[in-house]
Amino acid sequence: MSRLKTRAGWQSFFRRAGWLESIGIAGVLVVTLVALVAPWIAPFDPDVRVAGAYLPPSAAHWFGTDEIGRDFFSRIILGVQYTFLPGIGIVLVSLVVGAGLGLIAGAVGGTLDHIIERTVDLFIVLPAMLIALATVASLGPGLFNTMIAIVIFWWPVYARICRDEIRRLNALPHVEAARVSGVRGPRLLLRYLLPGAVPALLVTATHDITGVIMTLSAMSFLGLGQPAPAPELGAMTARAMESLTVYWWLPILPAAVIFLICLLANLAGDGIRMALRGA
Amino acid sequence: MTEPVLSISGLSVALSRNGSATRVLDDISFEAIPGEIIALVGESGAGKTSIGLALQGLLPRESHPVVTGSIRIAGIELVGARPKVLRAARRGLVRAISQDPMSALNPTMTIRRQMHESNDADDAAIHDWLGRTGLADPERIADALPHRISGGQCQRVLIAMSMMARPKLLIADEPTTALDLTTQAQILDLLRDLARAQQTAILFVTHDLNVAASFADRLLVLYAGHVVEIGDVGDVVRQPAHPYSAGLLAARFDLDSDRTRPLPTLPAERNRIANLAHACVYAPRCTIARPDCITIRPWLRPAPFHGGAVACLHAEETPLRPESSAPEAPWPSKAISNDVVALALTDVGKSFATGERSFLGRRRPKSVLSAINLSIRLGECVALVGESGAGKSTLLRIAAGLIKPDSGSVARIDVIPPQVVYQDAVSALTPWLSIGEQVGERLRPLGIGGDERRRRVLEALDLVGLDPGLMNALPAELSVGQCQRAVIARAVILAPKLLLCDEPISALDVSLSATTLNLLGALRRRLGTAMLFVTHDLAAARIIADRIAVLQSGELVEDGDPETLIAAPKADYTRALVAAVPGLRAERSRAACRA
Repeated sequence: MSRLKTRAGWQSFFRRAGWLESIGIAGVLVVTLVALVAPWIAPFDPDVRVAGAYLPPSAAHWFGTDEIGRDFFSRIILGVQYTFLPGIGIVLVSLVVGAGLGLIAGAVGGTLDHIIERTVDLFIVLPAMLIALATVASLGPGLFNTMIAIVIFWWPVYARICRDEIRRLNALPHVEAARVSGVRGPRLLLRYLLPGAVPALLVTATHDITGVIMTLSAMSFLGLGQPAPAPELGAMTARAMESLTVYWWLPILPAAVIFLICLLANLAGDGIRMALRGA
Repeated sequence: MTEPVLSISGLSVALSRNGSATRVLDDISFEAIPGEIIALVGESGAGKTSIGLALQGLLPRESHPVVTGSIRIAGIELVGARPKVLRAARRGLVRAISQDPMSALNPTMTIRRQMHESNDADDAAIHDWLGRTGLADPERIADALPHRISGGQCQRVLIAMSMMARPKLLIADEPTTALDLTTQAQILDLLRDLARAQQTAILFVTHDLNVAASFADRLLVLYAGHVVEIGDVGDVVRQPAHPYSAGLLAARFDLDSDRTRPLPTLPAERNRIANLAHACVYAPRCTIARPDCITIRPWLRPAPFHGGAVACLHAEETPLRPESSAPEAPWPSKAISNDVVALALTDVGKSFATGERSFLGRRRPKSVLSAINLSIRLGECVALVGESGAGKSTLLRIAAGLIKPDSGSVARIDVIPPQVVYQDAVSALTPWLSIGEQVGERLRPLGIGGDERRRRVLEALDLVGLDPGLMNALPAELSVGQCQRAVIARAVILAPKLLLCDEPISALDVSLSATTLNLLGALRRRLGTAMLFVTHDLAAARIIADRIAVLQSGELVEDGDPETLIAAPKADYTRALVAAVPGLRAERSRAACRA
């Protein structure tokens, strides 16, 4: 991994990734940046009326205004924050939980492996959306609860991938050589095994950002996301669906942004996969 | 003079990796007549395999190959040919057999279907050809899936598949490296007979000079993508005209080599030359290099001592060339402790569960080792020789404590666990950790850290002759030879009482093998370590070991002093192993036959 930190390393990383995929990786970084600084770069306050209702896109209001005259561009910028950051957060938490359990299952083996694997099976066969609905219904709507709901059915995939990668690595000569040299315990796990599983996990995780954002949007669409004034992209699309023929920008633009983020994340995943394969 | 079937002229190949182009072949020209066997030899990375791939139009597309020059097979130009022409050539003119026969066959198709697909032949022809390659039961083999037959059988199937097409040229890329010695001899005989009978020229890629010498008609020596010498095998072996060929030949070892002193090796590269277009590529390692060697590029010219050609400005001086270093001093006399036993295996047995299940679903165990008694004294080196599947590696892993024997006992003297040197040094190093960190790993449990650990690591690198600047390098930045040294450094940083070597030289080329044998020989004497050296190479075993133990199908059949064991083998199996070693003797008798 430290190979990527060198100057020439980054150059060859992008060359291996391909130009389209490199744009994807750069795009994901830009989207992350936008999401982080959204409140400061939004031209208007997204929660107050600044002009007449239902104004079409214009020079003053790039994406027009919504049904009560709020600047739609500012709302979408904020929407990126409300949609993308929870998406990343969900993937990260699932990754930590899943990879941690997978690492232990793969490295320790035996009964512990069996217990963790059957638990993973259990979570994989549960109907995902139903569990999410049930969780949010019992905890109440809200961003944090939605995130918990999604993490519950998202982590098992990472546990399975990580466990299989660790099992594969465990049989390789260099890990056996490390054991012969007397490396054991956490050091074996964290220095010799985990880095080998990182490429597979990283690629899956980047691809999964798309899935999580779609799920988040779908839940908002069903009314299980954040409460009304929050500019969540999925919810914005859902609420404006009936005005598609009259005020097209209201459903189309947030949907287009979701599409764009997902596309960039997918490209980034492909790029990382190709770059790491060549490394 | 027969019309050449293959004629290559001015062939250059450039491959680019990560944007930077490297010339892997530079201005190669040679011809082959029907039925001729040409051996391509050289160190790893010399471009041997690239020639084979270029001939088939199979250079890896992702490295954007740029091919210039001309390759004509039976009059058909292949450089710049359209894909259709190339496909037809691959089907009818050029065939190839590879190093790993198992992976060259499709695991989901029966042999019959694959042979049918490759040649449009009927069943009778398939059986006939399988029979011709010496397979005892052609019908059964034809209906088998590849994993049901052995590696040697797979290679025979591939040979049958290739030769059925009656190609003009067969490219054999290390076809016997993965096979046992006795199988190797049979496969080579088969290839030679078929080549003569069908007038197929064979391009035989190998890093094993002994095999090349006993098998080929002509020898083509490659160095860094250049042909440095070409000529009849006997001539080149007797009187090499290029200092590199001479060095390679001096570095090889067989059953007659002097084992009382370190083997001669090729000098390492001293300094790189900036302008390769106007210099001899070998000059940085050459012991007879003159100032003009780095300003004038030598072209192939008639060799002074034989009918071939050589690319060296000072070929006349090659025989006067000083050895890489002053004649090595003999090894010090043996210091084997008579009473301290470093490893004692008593009545060790081991069996593994196999795929077959008995009636009640229990896997039937297959015995791998039975009643092994072996002891190694401190300072002694025992070589364990046998074919693949004989249980050598299992025995080594039991000795290392990596697996437990089913029966019997293992006794070791030391608290320091035995260390292992692996066959594939590159894959024995963790790719994402620096050499220094991995070499210093064994000091951690002792609480040695910081500057002290750094000092000890540098000492260990120095001991194995590895540049201390490589301490922070990752394994990918090292050559194969350097990786092997790093693995050895890790094993000896805390001198173990027992060093276990698992085929440490079988993947290395001639000069690296000799270097590694010398290094291991020097280290074990200096550190007084007991050593178990697992190998299938009887010649290497004889060089390094004080005692040779022969393992056949999980049983020790013979155990004795190398010279006596080789001169007068008692067991039939040992006799077969000795007879299968290719070497100077075989080539001398061949030369005698010709004369």
